Amino acid sequence: MQVEVSRRRFLQGSVALSVIGGTSLSVTNLLGGHESQDEKGETAVTTKTGTGEATEVATLCEMCVNKCAAIARVENGVVTKLNPNPLFPKSKNMLCPRGNAGIQALYDPDRLKYPMIRVGEKGEGKFKRVSWEEAYDAILNGTDKFPGMGKILEEEKDNRSSFLFCAGEGMAEHTFKTFYSAFGSSNWLNHASLCLQTVISGYGVTIGGYAAADLENAEYIIMAGANRAEAIVTPDTMDGFKRTKGRGAKLICIDPRFTNTAAKADKWLAINPGTDLAFVLALTYVVLTEELYDKAYVAENFNGFDEYSKSVIENKYTPEWAEKITGIKAKDIYKIAREFMAHAPKAVYYPGRRSTFSNNDFQLRRAMAIFQGLSGGIDTKGGLVFGKKLKLGKHEGLEPIYARAESRAIEKEKHPEKGHSGYSDCAVVSGGGSWIAWRNRFLEGHMPYKVRGMFIYKHNPMMNMPNREKTAEMMKKMELVVSIDTMPSDTVMYADVVLPECTYLERTDPVKTFGGAEPSIAQRNKVLDPMFETKPVIEIMKGLTEKISKPLFEITKKYDDDVKEELADLGEGEEKKTPEQKAVEIYAEFDLTKPFEHSQEEINRHMVESVYGEEAVKTLQEHGVFYPNMDKFFKPLSVNEHQYYPEKEKAYRVNGGKPKTPSGKIECNLPNMAKKGIDPMPIWKEEYNFSVPDGKFRMLTGRHAQFTQSGTANNAMLRDLIFENYAWINRRVAEEKGIKFGDELEISSRTGKTVIKAYPTEKVGPKTIFFVHGFGEESEALTWAYKNGGNDNAVIEDVTEPVYGAASMHETNVEIRKV
Amino acid sequence: MANYGMALDYKNCINCKACEVACKEENGVLLGADKHRIWVGANDVKGEWPLLDIASAAFLPSQCQHCEEAPCQEVCPTNATYYNEHGVVLVDAEKCILCSYCMNACPYDARYVDDRTMTVDKCTFCTDTRLARGETTTACQNTCPTKVRTFGDLDDYDSEISELLRTREHFSLKENLGTKPKLFYLT
Repeated sequence: MQVEVSRRRFLQGSVALSVIGGTSLSVTNLLGGHESQDEKGETAVTTKTGTGEATEVATLCEMCVNKCAAIARVENGVVTKLNPNPLFPKSKNMLCPRGNAGIQALYDPDRLKYPMIRVGEKGEGKFKRVSWEEAYDAILNGTDKFPGMGKILEEEKDNRSSFLFCAGEGMAEHTFKTFYSAFGSSNWLNHASLCLQTVISGYGVTIGGYAAADLENAEYIIMAGANRAEAIVTPDTMDGFKRTKGRGAKLICIDPRFTNTAAKADKWLAINPGTDLAFVLALTYVVLTEELYDKAYVAENFNGFDEYSKSVIENKYTPEWAEKITGIKAKDIYKIAREFMAHAPKAVYYPGRRSTFSNNDFQLRRAMAIFQGLSGGIDTKGGLVFGKKLKLGKHEGLEPIYARAESRAIEKEKHPEKGHSGYSDCAVVSGGGSWIAWRNRFLEGHMPYKVRGMFIYKHNPMMNMPNREKTAEMMKKMELVVSIDTMPSDTVMYADVVLPECTYLERTDPVKTFGGAEPSIAQRNKVLDPMFETKPVIEIMKGLTEKISKPLFEITKKYDDDVKEELADLGEGEEKKTPEQKAVEIYAEFDLTKPFEHSQEEINRHMVESVYGEEAVKTLQEHGVFYPNMDKFFKPLSVNEHQYYPEKEKAYRVNGGKPKTPSGKIECNLPNMAKKGIDPMPIWKEEYNFSVPDGKFRMLTGRHAQFTQSGTANNAMLRDLIFENYAWINRRVAEEKGIKFGDELEISSRTGKTVIKAYPTEKVGPKTIFFVHGFGEESEALTWAYKNGGNDNAVIEDVTEPVYGAASMHETNVEIRKV
Repeated sequence: MANYGMALDYKNCINCKACEVACKEENGVLLGADKHRIWVGANDVKGEWPLLDIASAAFLPSQCQHCEEAPCQEVCPTNATYYNEHGVVLVDAEKCILCSYCMNACPYDARYVDDRTMTVDKCTFCTDTRLARGETTTACQNTCPTKVRTFGDLDDYDSEISELLRTREHFSLKENLGTKPKLFYLT
């Protein structure tokens, strides 16, 4: 298999090229059936930008979740450069290393290029190239290797929930979800329970929303368990580090390891993993006992303040108590509490945006939100900001009701006792579900009905979820797995049908509104036509639904009593219809093709034009960003700064400084939670204490600025910057064990093991091991990502926190062994 | 004629390396970790966990300093290294014989070998790409998330860089060598 569309061929020497060593790359078995496998040859290249003719297209980056605005420079049909788009208030004229490396995602020689169906064993990665029509047909009718959805739905008597749908985060996730809704399953899993479920929900139930931190104006910032210098979030990363180091904002970084954020902070305090809650409770104790809180604000805006205050004081959550648990000196806790309140309301306890680390994460978020509330720094410049969101028009979906579709496959407690959660594995079932709980229930056979097939969109459960082995087992057990992706990820290896999506630079995605103090609307515009035989997901959905809609409705007609009844009811008198007329009428409610009738461009036009008129549509197409009065408000202030809104137009305050909970109060006490067995107020429990048996280490994972999880693992440019991940181990511990830089370590837990090179450093403590997530994929079709370091999820145990069943990433102790 | 220089508000730098990637993509620089025109220097933090010296962990973006008295230019036997009309130090690949004197002479380690042409390569301030198209700034400055860099004309009293250098304290690297670098680190 050769790279058919390399930039080398496009350019024919008209533009100077650089080439990565002319390497001959290992041939993969991904394209089984195609024997003429030439070496991949010269692959990754950078292209010097030219001085001749070029076109520019405004797009939005998809190298991570931030969606920064970019302008693609296109020369001779080749994207030669991605530049930041200055118009977007969220990304403020910047592109990070990943954003700049988006070109390499577009021209990645390992991209999925054609639809494929499995010909080998499940997980073996042997596929054959087929046409789109053949792929759709295989989904509906199966092959000799796997059953089609027609057979499964027939056997399950139209229980639409016998299919699981899951998706990673992205602008077109909505498009895929539209298909899920129309299909009628109740089993939807997204990344939330592997990501930020607890922070969103913790702030949601406490102050009524996951507000943004105004790091541009805050004078005092506590950043605990958040690493904005490496896990880039816009605009926080840009705003957060321009005024630290004695330049207007004091940044306190609390982290078990010395991150780049620590390096940019004014103070870094090492904390024992999983004990942040004790730290916040002690801060709260100081603020309550010394009466440093904003009394007028609390009197007006708090529910349950007295109970919470009593709990914190009577439990004696003193800084001295917290010192023993967290490892942070009591005097530092006193100082931080006092300084924070002295700067209020221009002080932020940064909410963060990360995976759940410990089992108390939901309570931690609640305590943080309440602490923020005590300062009065809510809905306020320099504090937490809810901001404004610009309205968009609606796009009609389709949500037919299938009588036979079961509700979500969860397991209710058979004998719920008082103080016990309602479900077997978590107290609350969120919209995105608990991935781990669902997977494990499926494997253990605790499902209320059979789930036999799954659709995966832009999602890599094999890499993103603790306990890789279990995920592999689940994927093998699924009878029909359809994967839509751009890259041959570890998950794609387990698919029966692979549908290749084009990259973000080759498609227009749903227009999106971005809230905040400076709200705007932005649109990802197609830069190039899709390469190879790839398609945007909206066209994939259109093609698929055209194939399956009618045959599946035949199954519904057979088993769905409601539909049968409706079909039989032809009406009377002048209203009376023929059976054919009636069939057409009823089918219209079940016509899966309907949400995909229009192109993305048409849908976007409608959503924008209906609210802001024709000019806004054009502005979004040409400039990628729109907000009312942009032409008047936007202006460059210097080469590095722009004004998006004049000061008086910024939406720092939208709710009179109040929280946005239904009660209008900050909720310290949630008696409803108690009914589900969850502490109604944040308290510390013995089991939260950090303890690691002798000879073991607590496994920590995290992000860094040049990689986005496994999604960018095969990017040639980013690989330049970080070739593989290393295990951080305390320098003195390493010395004792005779471990030197670069030595290979086997890291193991009850879940499994992985091999990774050692990086002895003082940046971690003696009881912890850290390495970056996203490395060590096992798909041989990924030339550069294949086994490039250690895979954290091969080791992290599948522990979930009790409220939403979110994966607790830092609850695993590991052993290490030099190999 | 402009006299180009760059001011770096280096305390803003978070070592994300956006500048390195933007430079490579803009200028078609070879892939490979040892092939780069610009980089971010980072020191290992001093001390023992948990008592670490934050100040020792500063990030220092670096590259060719476009010295006014460039040692690389002085030692070049073929005049391949030259100053252009804007004071930018450039290499004429046609004249370079890869004697590597310049690489040894440069106190900033700013030069490397481009394996395609087998000549010495280095930062050009985007002279033959962005500036040649009439753009006013470099790829690294434009893309920087925390806005470390300000590029401009040192001879223009009204330019932002001139204003910055008038109003902010700054230093240059290895000033004692008398190379008169045109990269200025703001303190």
